[in-house]
Amino acid sequence: MANYQFIDHKFDVVVVGAGGSGLRAALGCAQAGLKTACISKVFPTRSHTVAAQGGISASLGNMGEDDWRWHMYDTVKGSDWLGDQDAIEYLCRNAPAAVYELEHWGVPFSRTSEGKIYQRAFGGMTKNFGEAPIQRTCAAADRTGHAMLHTMYGQSLAHDTEFFIEYFALDLIMDEGVCRGVTAWKLDDGTLHRFQAQQVILATGGYGRAYFSATSAHTCTGDGGGMALRAGLPLQDMEFVQFHPTGIYGAGCLITEGARGEGGYLTNSEGERFMERYAPSVKDLAPRDMVSRAMTIEIREGRGVGPKKDHIFLHLDHLDPKMLAERLPGISESAKIFAGVDVTKEPIPVLPTVHYNMGGIPTNFYSEVVTRLGDDPDKVVPGLMAVGEAACVSVHGANRLGSNSLIDLVVFGRSAALRCADTIKAGATQPELKPAMTDGHLARFDKFRNASGGTTTASLRLEMQKAMQEDAAVFRTTDSLASGVERLAAVHAKRPDLKVSDRGMIWNTDLLETLEFDNLVGQAITTVAGAFNRTESRGAHAHEDFPDRNDETWMKHTLTWFDDATGKVAIDYRPVHSYTLTNDIAYIPPKARVY
Amino acid sequence: MASYRTPLGRARGLGAAKHGVGAWIAERVTAVALVPLVLWAVFAGLRLAATDYYGAVEWLTSSALNPVLMGLFVIVGFMHMHAGLRVVIEDYIEKHLTRAGLLLLNLFACSLIGALAVFSILKVALGGAY
Amino acid sequence: MVQLALPKNSRVQKGKHHAAPASATKVKTFKIYRYDPEGTENPRWDTYDVDLEACGPMVLDVLIHIKNDIDPTLAFRRSCREGVCGSCAMNIGGRNTLACTHGHAEVPGKDCQISPLPHMPVIKDLIPDMSMFYAQYASIEPWLHTTTPEPQTEWRQSPEDREKLDGLYECILCACCSTSCPSYWWNGDKYLGPAALLHAYRWLIDSRDEATGDRLDELEDPFKLYRCHTIMNCAQVCPKGLNPAKAIGEIKKMLVDRVV
Repeated sequence: MANYQFIDHKFDVVVVGAGGSGLRAALGCAQAGLKTACISKVFPTRSHTVAAQGGISASLGNMGEDDWRWHMYDTVKGSDWLGDQDAIEYLCRNAPAAVYELEHWGVPFSRTSEGKIYQRAFGGMTKNFGEAPIQRTCAAADRTGHAMLHTMYGQSLAHDTEFFIEYFALDLIMDEGVCRGVTAWKLDDGTLHRFQAQQVILATGGYGRAYFSATSAHTCTGDGGGMALRAGLPLQDMEFVQFHPTGIYGAGCLITEGARGEGGYLTNSEGERFMERYAPSVKDLAPRDMVSRAMTIEIREGRGVGPKKDHIFLHLDHLDPKMLAERLPGISESAKIFAGVDVTKEPIPVLPTVHYNMGGIPTNFYSEVVTRLGDDPDKVVPGLMAVGEAACVSVHGANRLGSNSLIDLVVFGRSAALRCADTIKAGATQPELKPAMTDGHLARFDKFRNASGGTTTASLRLEMQKAMQEDAAVFRTTDSLASGVERLAAVHAKRPDLKVSDRGMIWNTDLLETLEFDNLVGQAITTVAGAFNRTESRGAHAHEDFPDRNDETWMKHTLTWFDDATGKVAIDYRPVHSYTLTNDIAYIPPKARVY
Repeated sequence: MASYRTPLGRARGLGAAKHGVGAWIAERVTAVALVPLVLWAVFAGLRLAATDYYGAVEWLTSSALNPVLMGLFVIVGFMHMHAGLRVVIEDYIEKHLTRAGLLLLNLFACSLIGALAVFSILKVALGGAY
Repeated sequence: MVQLALPKNSRVQKGKHHAAPASATKVKTFKIYRYDPEGTENPRWDTYDVDLEACGPMVLDVLIHIKNDIDPTLAFRRSCREGVCGSCAMNIGGRNTLACTHGHAEVPGKDCQISPLPHMPVIKDLIPDMSMFYAQYASIEPWLHTTTPEPQTEWRQSPEDREKLDGLYECILCACCSTSCPSYWWNGDKYLGPAALLHAYRWLIDSRDEATGDRLDELEDPFKLYRCHTIMNCAQVCPKGLNPAKAIGEIKKMLVDRVV
């Protein structure tokens, strides 16, 4: 093995990832006087939060009466009761303050005629505990994530956050169950770095690229989840993968749910607004899992559009072009570029596309990573936190509502920072790092760097992506999932045969993609394993052999551990929290989920 | 030679000079003023081309307007030229000493030629020199 | 910084040729700038004959196809592939743009030449060093400056005032504009460039911001601002259809308003 030298850094807090949640956490820690580093493999404004379009939910009540309890009810129902209600209460109560904070930082929200933040309708958001759709999603046209991310990056420039940009995190430095820091590879000069910290916050996003077609960016490779698995930690609820109903057919680019929030609707080959059949009260504004299933059924039953009858139309052509230009300019442009469609005249061809991972690194509502140890299902992993899509708090349960992810980012990014401020003493002495803690990191890095087998990373990645796409789709069956488990085991078995052609250390994107692929594989395997294991249908997990929700057996979170060497998955469970945070609202008991 | 200055340090550089709007306005004002002045000068030039030396002196001394307008044309023209050349030098010359030298040369040349021209006009207009 | 010829160690040489597979039906040649910072050789032009039937419609699809199936050592930045992250800005067929939203059919001619953004230090292949560009962005203090205590809820802003931010806040910091600007090429160390100035104006015109005067003070400089000679390349290449030159013009107007 080549002789690798680490460059050492010591911080109070190290945040891995500079998307919405990472920036919010880093900013909060810096404001609390903690020496904070934020490391990111891309320049912060290129993180995938930038692609969020529709908006950020909060019960501001700018468009009529609203209440955080209604928001909470919707989120619980949207999650198909798999969400932890203490965390959901924390989210919905703190949402308005979080949005006002963003506004005070300068986010260019769209405005009402009174000069307040404009809010639009979104799927599953209702008033008075499910009565009718409500406008709760705060929007900056259809570029809300972009506006937020740029504003938050600006704010962190105003504070003392130290950025380490284009550093790729390799592994967590673990010391007998305690996280002591993280190692990283600096792309632009090829050096290796060891970041020591009292607290590491993983804000690395989802692993959408485990699938062949996803709205996720190429960089959404779930690096934090991969690191957690290698550190011997479990991931939670990985079987729940959200398909966004309106990805552009072919290209997979996102068309916001806000398009339907502003009055758009879906039609099948008969020109029928079929959502009226599936969700009579909210129609096209049903939660994403239901719309995706409805679209898939329509296509399956031969009512898809296009020459192959394999997609659905999203109509915006009946809406006022002026309104489209003002509120949906971004998707009008995307539809033009990627589907060749003028939205004022023609419908957009769309298809359910992988969009979001409800599962991730299990945490409590302080954002501290938890695991199950013996009888303790909430054992905190000292020194490690997770936020954003990388984490599973779980506020989204089995299905996330649109616009609840952006609020998740800032509320739990903030909660992580507050927890750090409460539990960490700035500048406290930290134990010495021993080479044994990082030898494995270097061995793995070196193994891939010099991989000289016969399978390119791209081909093996494609094999994984195809398997996921075909076997862990909107609808799953015992057979498809068994096939998925088998095919991914085959992918894992071929990993030692990988071939990396570039041996350099500077911007070696061949090696970078291989390390990312390695992060994806473990999460793909735990996803199909969890899905195969869960013999019920709940939220985004639609199991055709078990079409009903089974609260008696399955009202619990799946925990999956992954043995990197053998590819074996171990499964255990955590109970779903059947209590709320305060007495302001009672536990919302499960009932049938109809809209 | 590698520079170890941080990018932000380099971007901030010496800070803002907190002037520039005056020069920018002057460029525009001289440009606008030159529109009628150039028209007048072209018109005058055509007229003078048809006459001889004595006719030209006669024309310059016959009224207050002609020498004044000609003086203005020369002054404003050289001011504008100086500003324009200055931008060209600042744009393209990086070496400090060369740049300073050329900027001075530009200033001196424009001032000198301009002053000579104005003096000549005055001399003719006031002295009626033959 | 006028330098008309490249220094000796930057002169681009002829590189490798990768022929298309025999089965290819629709072939286009892509000539791509390659530079290996860890080697001793000069940069080179590698040519790839690509079967267009085997890849998607965008130039980024071609680059990914090359990386996946022809030459995994090719290095370039990419992320969102839908024109919002700004990672894959490069010079394609002589024009700065985003590889992900630029169709290969849009590139005129038989061959398509791809190089990193012009006048930037190259780290490797199509990856330029953007640190100076980012620092210039940071130097305009891209955050809301207020002194009045924050309200309990939002700062109010009329829809008309909000509309003034349209055409500005959408910038994705891809650097296509700045690196297409001759003034930025010659004086990139002192001139802030169109992208940073567009952002400067975005905060100047935000009705919630209370530091307009200070911001103008920091911009009034013969180099930081006034190197803009309205060449308009910035507006022509912006892949988001923004007009930085107009924003710069508005800043100049604000400075005039202050004195006249």
